[in-house]
Amino acid sequence: MNNSELDKKLKAAQEPALDADYQADFPRLVLANLRSTPREERPVPRLWLPRLAWGLATATCIVLAFAIGHWRGHVETASSAGILENAKLIRETMAMFPNQIRAIVQDEHGLKLVLADRADVPDSPPLYVEICDGNRCCSAVTFSGQEIQLAGQKVTVLADAGGGIILEGGQFAWSSATDGKNVHGLKVQAKLLNTVAM
Amino acid sequence: MADLDEEQNWVSQSRNGDHAAFAELIRAHQSMIHSLTFRMTGSVADCKDLAQETFIRAYQQLDSYHGTAKFSSWLYRIAVNACLDWRRRELRRGQIHNSWSESNTAGETPADATPGLDDLSRQVQSALMKLPEKQRAAVVLTVYGGHNHAEAAKILGCSETTVSWRIFTAKQKLKKLLGPKGGSLE
Repeated sequence: MNNSELDKKLKAAQEPALDADYQADFPRLVLANLRSTPREERPVPRLWLPRLAWGLATATCIVLAFAIGHWRGHVETASSAGILENAKLIRETMAMFPNQIRAIVQDEHGLKLVLADRADVPDSPPLYVEICDGNRCCSAVTFSGQEIQLAGQKVTVLADAGGGIILEGGQFAWSSATDGKNVHGLKVQAKLLNTVAM
Repeated sequence: MADLDEEQNWVSQSRNGDHAAFAELIRAHQSMIHSLTFRMTGSVADCKDLAQETFIRAYQQLDSYHGTAKFSSWLYRIAVNACLDWRRRELRRGQIHNSWSESNTAGETPADATPGLDDLSRQVQSALMKLPEKQRAAVVLTVYGGHNHAEAAKILGCSETTVSWRIFTAKQKLKKLLGPKGGSLE
Protein backbone atom coordinates (compact mmCIF):
# COMPACT_ATOMS: atom_id res chain seq x y z
CA MET A 1 0.00 0.00 0.00
CA ASN A 2 1.48 3.39 -0.93
CA ASN A 3 0.90 6.72 0.84
CA SER A 4 -1.88 7.93 -1.45
CA GLU A 5 -3.78 4.65 -1.10
CA LEU A 6 -3.44 4.91 2.66
CA ASP A 7 -4.65 8.53 2.70
CA LYS A 8 -7.61 7.54 0.54
CA LYS A 9 -8.52 4.74 2.94
CA LEU A 10 -8.13 6.98 6.00
CA LYS A 11 -10.31 9.71 4.46
CA ALA A 12 -12.98 7.21 3.44
CA ALA A 13 -13.54 6.36 7.12
CA GLN A 14 -16.64 8.12 8.41
CA GLU A 15 -17.31 9.51 11.86
CA PRO A 16 -20.51 8.62 13.70
CA ALA A 17 -23.20 11.21 12.99
CA LEU A 18 -24.07 13.22 16.09
CA ASP A 19 -27.79 13.77 16.35
CA ALA A 20 -29.16 17.16 15.40
CA ASP A 21 -30.69 17.86 18.83
CA TYR A 22 -27.36 17.31 20.56
CA GLN A 23 -25.62 19.63 18.10
CA ALA A 24 -28.22 22.35 18.46
CA ASP A 25 -28.09 22.07 22.24
CA PHE A 26 -24.30 21.86 22.52
CA PRO A 27 -23.54 25.61 22.91
CA ARG A 28 -26.17 25.88 25.67
CA LEU A 29 -24.66 22.82 27.39
CA VAL A 30 -21.18 24.38 27.37
CA LEU A 31 -22.49 27.73 28.63
CA ALA A 32 -24.39 25.99 31.45
CA ASN A 33 -21.13 24.32 32.51
CA LEU A 34 -19.27 27.61 32.21
CA ARG A 35 -21.59 29.25 34.70
CA SER A 36 -20.54 26.67 37.28
CA THR A 37 -16.82 27.04 36.41
CA PRO A 38 -15.66 30.65 36.83
CA ARG A 39 -13.25 32.12 34.30
CA GLU A 40 -9.58 32.30 35.32
CA GLU A 41 -8.53 35.71 36.56
CA ARG A 42 -5.75 37.68 34.94
CA PRO A 43 -2.46 37.40 36.94
CA VAL A 44 -2.39 39.96 39.72
CA PRO A 45 0.22 42.73 39.57
CA ARG A 46 2.01 41.68 42.78
CA LEU A 47 3.65 38.87 40.78
CA TRP A 48 6.07 41.37 39.22
CA LEU A 49 8.98 40.53 41.53
CA PRO A 50 9.32 36.79 40.66
CA ARG A 51 8.80 37.70 37.00
CA LEU A 52 11.59 40.26 37.16
CA ALA A 53 13.85 37.65 38.78
CA TRP A 54 13.02 35.11 36.07
CA GLY A 55 13.57 37.75 33.40
CA LEU A 56 17.00 38.64 34.76
CA ALA A 57 17.97 34.97 35.09
CA THR A 58 16.84 34.27 31.51
CA ALA A 59 18.74 37.30 30.18
CA THR A 60 21.90 36.15 32.00
CA CYS A 61 21.54 32.66 30.49
CA ILE A 62 21.09 34.11 27.00
CA VAL A 63 24.20 36.30 27.35
CA LEU A 64 26.23 33.34 28.65
CA ALA A 65 24.96 31.03 25.88
CA PHE A 66 25.76 33.67 23.26
CA ALA A 67 29.28 34.18 24.65
CA ILE A 68 29.98 30.43 24.73
CA GLY A 69 28.46 29.96 21.28
CA HIS A 70 30.54 32.79 19.85
CA TRP A 71 33.71 31.37 21.41
CA ARG A 72 33.04 27.88 20.03
CA GLY A 73 31.70 29.16 16.69
CA HIS A 74 34.59 28.31 14.38
CA VAL A 75 35.07 24.85 15.90
CA GLU A 76 31.35 24.04 15.45
CA THR A 77 31.30 25.26 11.85
CA ALA A 78 34.21 23.11 10.88
CA SER A 79 32.73 19.93 12.38
CA SER A 80 29.17 20.60 11.13
CA ALA A 81 30.33 21.17 7.57
CA GLY A 82 31.75 17.66 7.79
CA ILE A 83 28.29 16.37 8.77
CA LEU A 84 26.86 17.50 5.43
CA GLU A 85 29.53 15.56 3.58
CA ASN A 86 28.97 12.43 5.65
CA ALA A 87 27.50 10.05 3.08
CA LYS A 88 26.10 7.58 5.63
CA LEU A 89 24.29 10.26 7.59
CA ILE A 90 22.81 11.84 4.47
CA ARG A 91 21.71 8.42 3.16
CA GLU A 92 20.01 7.56 6.47
CA THR A 93 18.25 10.91 6.64
CA MET A 94 17.04 10.48 3.03
CA ALA A 95 15.73 7.02 3.89
CA MET A 96 13.81 8.44 6.85
CA PHE A 97 11.94 10.98 4.70
CA PRO A 98 11.78 9.50 1.19
CA ASN A 99 11.14 12.14 -1.50
CA GLN A 100 10.40 14.70 1.20
CA ILE A 101 13.77 16.33 1.87
CA ARG A 102 14.19 19.64 0.06
CA ALA A 103 17.45 20.47 1.80
CA ILE A 104 19.62 19.96 4.85
CA VAL A 105 21.01 23.41 5.56
CA GLN A 106 23.91 24.36 7.80
CA ASP A 107 24.21 28.03 8.71
CA GLU A 108 25.18 30.12 11.71
CA HIS A 109 22.04 28.89 13.53
CA GLY A 110 22.98 25.23 13.17
CA LEU A 111 21.64 22.32 11.14
CA LYS A 112 18.13 22.59 9.68
CA LEU A 113 16.11 19.98 7.83
CA VAL A 114 13.82 21.53 5.20
CA LEU A 115 10.98 19.16 4.31
CA ALA A 116 8.24 19.34 1.69
CA ASP A 117 4.65 18.90 2.91
CA ARG A 118 4.21 15.91 0.64
CA ALA A 119 6.61 13.26 -0.62
CA ASP A 120 6.88 14.89 -4.05
CA VAL A 121 10.57 15.82 -4.29
CA PRO A 122 11.82 14.02 -7.44
CA ASP A 123 14.52 11.38 -7.05
CA SER A 124 17.92 12.79 -7.95
CA PRO A 125 21.45 12.55 -6.60
CA PRO A 126 22.20 14.83 -3.65
CA LEU A 127 24.22 17.97 -4.29
CA TYR A 128 26.53 19.73 -1.85
CA VAL A 129 26.40 23.53 -2.10
CA GLU A 130 28.42 26.05 -0.11
CA ILE A 131 28.21 29.84 -0.29
CA CYS A 132 30.51 32.07 1.76
CA ASP A 133 30.00 35.78 2.20
CA GLY A 134 33.25 36.87 3.84
CA ASN A 135 33.65 34.67 6.91
CA ARG A 136 29.95 33.71 6.97
CA CYS A 137 29.41 30.39 5.26
CA CYS A 138 26.18 28.52 4.57
CA SER A 139 26.19 25.03 3.19
CA ALA A 140 23.47 22.63 2.19
CA VAL A 141 22.76 19.22 0.79
CA THR A 142 19.92 19.59 -1.68
CA PHE A 143 18.55 18.29 -4.96
CA SER A 144 18.25 19.57 -8.49
CA GLY A 145 15.21 21.80 -8.98
CA GLN A 146 14.99 22.95 -5.36
CA GLU A 147 14.81 26.60 -4.36
CA ILE A 148 16.49 27.06 -0.99
CA GLN A 149 17.36 29.95 1.31
CA LEU A 150 21.16 30.27 1.53
CA ALA A 151 23.32 33.17 2.65
CA GLY A 152 20.28 35.41 2.95
CA GLN A 153 18.95 34.83 -0.55
CA LYS A 154 16.84 32.38 -2.48
CA VAL A 155 19.00 30.10 -4.59
CA THR A 156 17.69 27.76 -7.26
CA VAL A 157 19.85 24.68 -7.68
CA LEU A 158 19.93 22.86 -11.02
CA ALA A 159 22.00 19.88 -12.13
CA ASP A 160 22.28 18.30 -15.57
CA ALA A 161 22.84 14.66 -16.53
CA GLY A 162 26.53 15.30 -17.10
CA GLY A 163 27.06 16.37 -13.50
CA GLY A 164 27.11 20.10 -14.26
CA ILE A 165 25.58 22.32 -11.58
CA ILE A 166 24.04 25.77 -11.93
CA LEU A 167 23.14 28.01 -9.00
CA GLU A 168 20.87 30.96 -9.59
CA GLY A 169 20.44 33.49 -6.81
CA GLY A 170 18.75 36.87 -6.65
CA GLN A 171 22.08 38.63 -7.11
CA PHE A 172 24.27 36.07 -8.84
CA ALA A 173 24.44 33.09 -11.16
CA TRP A 174 27.12 30.44 -10.89
CA SER A 175 27.96 27.44 -13.02
CA SER A 176 30.32 24.54 -12.36
CA ALA A 177 31.26 24.69 -16.07
CA THR A 178 32.97 28.07 -15.67
CA ASP A 179 33.91 27.28 -12.05
CA GLY A 180 34.44 30.92 -11.15
CA LYS A 181 34.70 30.58 -7.38
CA ASN A 182 34.05 34.27 -6.63
CA VAL A 183 30.83 35.82 -7.89
CA HIS A 184 29.67 39.22 -6.66
CA GLY A 185 31.87 38.90 -3.58
CA LEU A 186 30.51 35.45 -2.74
CA LYS A 187 32.67 32.34 -2.66
CA VAL A 188 30.66 29.52 -4.20
CA GLN A 189 31.26 25.78 -4.29
CA ALA A 190 28.93 22.99 -5.47
CA LYS A 191 29.42 19.33 -6.25
CA LEU A 192 27.54 16.11 -6.79
CA LEU A 193 27.66 14.42 -3.41
CA ASN A 194 27.29 10.81 -4.50
CA THR A 195 30.17 10.91 -6.97
CA VAL A 196 32.45 12.27 -4.29
CA ALA A 197 31.48 10.50 -1.11
CA MET A 198 28.52 8.11 -1.45
CA MET B 1 -18.14 29.58 8.49
CA ALA B 2 -17.80 33.03 10.06
CA ASP B 3 -15.46 35.55 8.46
CA LEU B 4 -12.33 36.52 10.37
CA ASP B 5 -13.51 40.01 11.42
CA GLU B 6 -16.75 38.64 12.76
CA GLU B 7 -14.83 35.95 14.62
CA GLN B 8 -12.46 38.50 16.17
CA ASN B 9 -15.51 40.49 17.34
CA TRP B 10 -16.93 37.39 18.97
CA VAL B 11 -13.59 36.77 20.69
CA SER B 12 -13.44 40.35 22.04
CA GLN B 13 -17.04 40.24 23.22
CA SER B 14 -16.49 36.83 24.83
CA ARG B 15 -13.48 38.23 26.70
CA ASN B 16 -15.84 40.80 28.19
CA GLY B 17 -18.07 38.01 29.43
CA ASP B 18 -20.61 38.00 26.57
CA HIS B 19 -21.88 34.41 26.57
CA ALA B 20 -23.99 34.92 23.42
CA ALA B 21 -20.82 35.83 21.48
CA PHE B 22 -19.05 32.77 22.86
CA ALA B 23 -22.02 30.63 21.80
CA GLU B 24 -21.42 31.88 18.23
CA LEU B 25 -17.78 30.80 18.45
CA ILE B 26 -18.91 27.38 19.68
CA ARG B 27 -21.41 27.02 16.81
CA ALA B 28 -18.74 27.94 14.27
CA HIS B 29 -16.22 25.38 15.51
CA GLN B 30 -18.10 22.60 17.32
CA SER B 31 -18.22 20.26 14.36
CA MET B 32 -14.45 20.51 13.75
CA ILE B 33 -13.70 19.92 17.45
CA HIS B 34 -16.06 16.94 17.74
CA SER B 35 -14.41 15.42 14.69
CA LEU B 36 -10.95 15.80 16.24
CA THR B 37 -11.95 14.48 19.66
CA PHE B 38 -13.65 11.45 18.10
CA ARG B 39 -10.59 10.63 15.99
CA MET B 40 -8.40 10.97 19.07
CA THR B 41 -10.55 8.85 21.40
CA GLY B 42 -12.60 6.56 19.17
CA SER B 43 -15.50 6.93 21.57
CA VAL B 44 -18.62 9.04 21.03
CA ALA B 45 -19.16 9.59 24.76
CA ASP B 46 -15.56 10.69 25.37
CA CYS B 47 -15.61 12.81 22.22
CA LYS B 48 -18.60 14.76 23.55
CA ASP B 49 -17.03 15.23 26.99
CA LEU B 50 -13.75 16.38 25.49
CA ALA B 51 -15.45 18.78 23.07
CA GLN B 52 -17.16 20.39 26.07
CA GLU B 53 -13.92 20.47 28.03
CA THR B 54 -12.18 22.12 25.06
CA PHE B 55 -14.65 25.00 24.87
CA ILE B 56 -14.65 25.48 28.64
CA ARG B 57 -10.84 25.62 28.66
CA ALA B 58 -10.91 27.99 25.68
CA TYR B 59 -13.25 30.38 27.49
CA GLN B 60 -11.08 30.28 30.60
CA GLN B 61 -7.94 30.96 28.58
CA LEU B 62 -9.33 33.57 26.17
CA ASP B 63 -6.92 36.18 27.55
CA SER B 64 -4.02 34.13 26.25
CA TYR B 65 -5.33 34.25 22.66
CA HIS B 66 -3.55 37.20 21.05
CA GLY B 67 -4.97 36.88 17.55
CA THR B 68 -1.61 36.13 15.94
CA ALA B 69 -2.73 32.63 14.92
CA LYS B 70 -6.12 31.58 13.53
CA PHE B 71 -8.68 31.10 16.28
CA SER B 72 -9.38 27.60 14.93
CA SER B 73 -5.67 26.65 15.26
CA TRP B 74 -5.61 27.96 18.83
CA LEU B 75 -8.76 25.95 19.58
CA TYR B 76 -7.28 22.85 17.94
CA ARG B 77 -4.28 23.14 20.25
CA ILE B 78 -6.53 23.22 23.31
CA ALA B 79 -8.50 20.23 22.00
CA VAL B 80 -5.36 18.18 21.31
CA ASN B 81 -4.04 18.94 24.80
CA ALA B 82 -7.41 17.99 26.32
CA CYS B 83 -7.24 14.68 24.43
CA LEU B 84 -3.68 14.00 25.59
CA ASP B 85 -4.68 14.77 29.20
CA TRP B 86 -7.69 12.47 28.75
CA ARG B 87 -5.36 9.71 27.59
CA ARG B 88 -3.18 10.14 30.69
CA ARG B 89 -6.29 10.00 32.91
CA GLU B 90 -7.44 6.87 31.07
CA LEU B 91 -4.03 5.24 31.55
CA ARG B 92 -4.11 6.00 35.28
CA ARG B 93 -7.65 4.62 35.47
CA GLY B 94 -6.49 1.62 33.45
CA GLN B 95 -3.68 0.94 35.89
CA ILE B 96 -6.13 1.00 38.81
CA HIS B 97 -8.50 -1.42 37.06
CA ASN B 98 -5.78 -3.35 35.31
CA SER B 99 -6.90 -6.84 36.15
CA TRP B 100 -10.54 -6.02 35.32
CA SER B 101 -9.59 -4.53 31.93
CA GLU B 102 -7.47 -7.51 30.95
CA SER B 103 -10.25 -9.94 31.54
CA ASN B 104 -13.04 -7.87 30.06
CA THR B 105 -11.81 -5.63 27.26
CA ALA B 106 -8.70 -7.32 25.93
CA GLY B 107 -8.18 -6.43 22.26
CA GLU B 108 -11.19 -4.17 22.14
CA THR B 109 -10.78 -0.48 21.32
CA PRO B 110 -13.65 2.01 21.81
CA ALA B 111 -14.17 2.19 18.05
CA ASP B 112 -15.00 -1.52 17.98
CA ALA B 113 -18.01 -0.71 20.10
CA THR B 114 -19.11 2.50 18.33
CA PRO B 115 -22.52 2.01 16.74
CA GLY B 116 -23.35 3.45 13.31
CA LEU B 117 -19.93 2.92 11.74
CA ASP B 118 -19.38 0.77 8.66
CA ASP B 119 -16.63 -1.87 8.64
CA LEU B 120 -14.01 0.30 6.96
CA SER B 121 -14.60 3.21 9.34
CA ARG B 122 -14.42 0.87 12.31
CA GLN B 123 -11.22 -0.72 11.01
CA VAL B 124 -9.56 2.65 10.36
CA GLN B 125 -10.53 4.06 13.75
CA SER B 126 -9.25 0.92 15.51
CA ALA B 127 -5.96 1.26 13.64
CA LEU B 128 -5.71 4.94 14.66
CA MET B 129 -6.29 3.95 18.27
CA LYS B 130 -3.31 1.60 18.13
CA LEU B 131 -0.94 4.50 17.41
CA PRO B 132 0.82 6.39 20.21
CA GLU B 133 -1.31 9.45 20.89
CA LYS B 134 1.19 12.02 19.59
CA GLN B 135 1.48 10.17 16.29
CA ARG B 136 -2.31 9.89 16.16
CA ALA B 137 -2.65 13.64 16.78
CA ALA B 138 -0.24 14.37 13.91
CA VAL B 139 -2.19 12.10 11.54
CA VAL B 140 -5.58 13.47 12.63
CA LEU B 141 -4.48 17.10 12.13
CA THR B 142 -2.97 16.53 8.71
CA VAL B 143 -5.26 13.89 7.19
CA TYR B 144 -8.61 14.89 8.70
CA GLY B 145 -7.94 18.50 9.72
CA GLY B 146 -6.30 19.34 6.39
CA HIS B 147 -3.37 21.13 8.06
CA ASN B 148 0.07 21.10 6.49
CA HIS B 149 3.05 20.01 8.55
CA ALA B 150 3.99 23.56 9.57
CA GLU B 151 0.48 24.31 10.86
CA ALA B 152 0.30 20.97 12.67
CA ALA B 153 3.68 21.72 14.27
CA LYS B 154 2.34 25.02 15.63
CA ILE B 155 -0.77 23.33 17.00
CA LEU B 156 1.21 20.51 18.59
CA GLY B 157 3.90 22.85 19.90
CA CYS B 158 6.79 20.97 18.31
CA SER B 159 9.05 21.33 15.28
CA GLU B 160 7.95 20.63 11.71
CA THR B 161 10.58 17.89 11.52
CA THR B 162 9.10 16.18 14.57
CA VAL B 163 5.64 16.27 12.94
CA SER B 164 7.03 14.82 9.70
CA TRP B 165 8.78 12.08 11.61
CA ARG B 166 5.63 11.23 13.61
CA ILE B 167 3.55 11.08 10.44
CA PHE B 168 6.12 8.96 8.64
CA THR B 169 6.26 6.46 11.54
CA ALA B 170 2.47 6.46 12.01
CA LYS B 171 1.86 5.79 8.32
CA GLN B 172 4.27 2.87 8.33
CA LYS B 173 2.24 1.33 11.16
CA LEU B 174 -1.11 2.16 9.55
CA LYS B 175 0.00 0.50 6.31
CA LYS B 176 0.66 -2.70 8.26
CA LEU B 177 -2.61 -2.48 10.15
CA LEU B 178 -4.78 -1.56 7.16
CA GLY B 179 -2.94 -3.52 4.48
CA PRO B 180 -4.53 -6.48 2.65
CA LYS B 181 -3.52 -8.84 5.46
CA GLY B 182 -4.65 -6.49 8.23
CA GLY B 183 -2.53 -7.71 11.09
CA SER B 184 -0.84 -6.31 14.14
CA LEU B 185 2.17 -4.14 14.90
CA GLU B 186 4.13 -6.98 16.44
